[in-house]
Amino acid sequence: MVDLPPDPIQMTIAMITSPLFLKVAIFPGLTSIGIIAAILTWLDRKITARVQLRIGPQYVSPFGGILQSFADLIKLAFKELIIPEKADRFFFILAPVFGLVLGAGLIALIPFSPETLISNVEVGLPVFLAFVTLSPTLVLLAGWSANSKYPFIGGLRSLFQQTGYEIPLWLSSIGVVMLAGSFNLTKIVQAQSTGWFILPQLLGAIIFLVTSVAEQERIPFDLPEAEPEIIMGWQAEYPGFLFLAAQGAGFVKLYAFSALFATIYLGGYLGPGPQFLGLFWSLFKTTIMIVLVILLRGAFGRVRLDQLLKYGWTLLLGLAIINIAITYFLIEGFPAI
Amino acid sequence: MVAEGIPELVYYLGFITVNTLALVVILILLVSPRDKKPTPVKRAPFESGQIAVGRGRTRFIIQYYPYLLMFVVYDVVAMFLFAWAVNLRTLGAAGTIPVLVFVSVLLVPLGYALHLANRPENW
Repeated sequence: MVDLPPDPIQMTIAMITSPLFLKVAIFPGLTSIGIIAAILTWLDRKITARVQLRIGPQYVSPFGGILQSFADLIKLAFKELIIPEKADRFFFILAPVFGLVLGAGLIALIPFSPETLISNVEVGLPVFLAFVTLSPTLVLLAGWSANSKYPFIGGLRSLFQQTGYEIPLWLSSIGVVMLAGSFNLTKIVQAQSTGWFILPQLLGAIIFLVTSVAEQERIPFDLPEAEPEIIMGWQAEYPGFLFLAAQGAGFVKLYAFSALFATIYLGGYLGPGPQFLGLFWSLFKTTIMIVLVILLRGAFGRVRLDQLLKYGWTLLLGLAIINIAITYFLIEGFPAI
Repeated sequence: MVAEGIPELVYYLGFITVNTLALVVILILLVSPRDKKPTPVKRAPFESGQIAVGRGRTRFIIQYYPYLLMFVVYDVVAMFLFAWAVNLRTLGAAGTIPVLVFVSVLLVPLGYALHLANRPENW
């Protein structure tokens, strides 16, 4: 008797109906990230347009041009792929693609609800920040491989900006770790059942918000892709869908950072009502943070690079250290927090 | 459990990497039109319509270099503070005083380095 090999169809069905695969492929994984990034592109354009007394995209739609970004997606996919003559083709193509993968990788760590969580790593917060740390390398690689002046300048600017704002980002999130006594994001949410961390960590939350906007390279910190100065910076040479990947990575990071802010400061999936509403609450808080960050774009102008670095390294770093001291005395003074 | 969640994370990262790369390869090979004989102008680096002068990877004065040097040192320091923060409640004063000494010893050179880095005449 020969052992029959397992039925491939049965195996495939078993695999694609497993809970982990559904989470990885549908929500909060790949498919939902793609759709959310597309909707965020639309939301960004629409809100900015409203702030500037314009209408924004409106034709491709059942509702207010919401399908505009999907139309753009199809358009960009059918564009000709022009790669500059002297570019390093391998890294030129791979850098934005891996930037997108890295951005999407952040979502795996966010507990949208106790069940819809892909990876319950014990060191969730440092892993998230470590992924963020990798992205300036990819941006610099993208700028360098294009072998053109503006992308190179944009890549260098991105390196300075993201490294400069990284230490305040890390230090501001230390306050949360001190209060929760854990790196695990689910445990951080559980620790907030007595009160959201935004109250004892107000200073830290503000620093975290400012530095995370800088890490996402959004206005007012969009120096690496400043259109009037260095014509989209490191994205200047990207054609068609590679440009889409470079832009999409920014929106995926916006989603991930807003979700992280909602998780560590706004109590994540905690909220009134029965437990199955947890998913709704975390998405609701994430949406509020996303809209807040988009509104910043309408409210502020771009800062200069030397101002950016000076305030990042002196003001934000100093405030982050003060925040750690305040948190320490809070814990020593009121051990119940 | 320290290893909890890591297989799922690796599975997820592998899944999205494979899918994104497959999508990119499909787009490059099948969807995106290619110009068989592109003109030199088409493949020239973009410089706002000007004819590109000189090399793309030019010599570029990195004026803000001191900030990068500080990053190399103080990123590691931030990681040490994470290790202290997570054990804060169990360590108590015995664990906090060495950290205070450690941070204050490192903050003095940081202040001096910032003092030098923030002065434009030193760039």
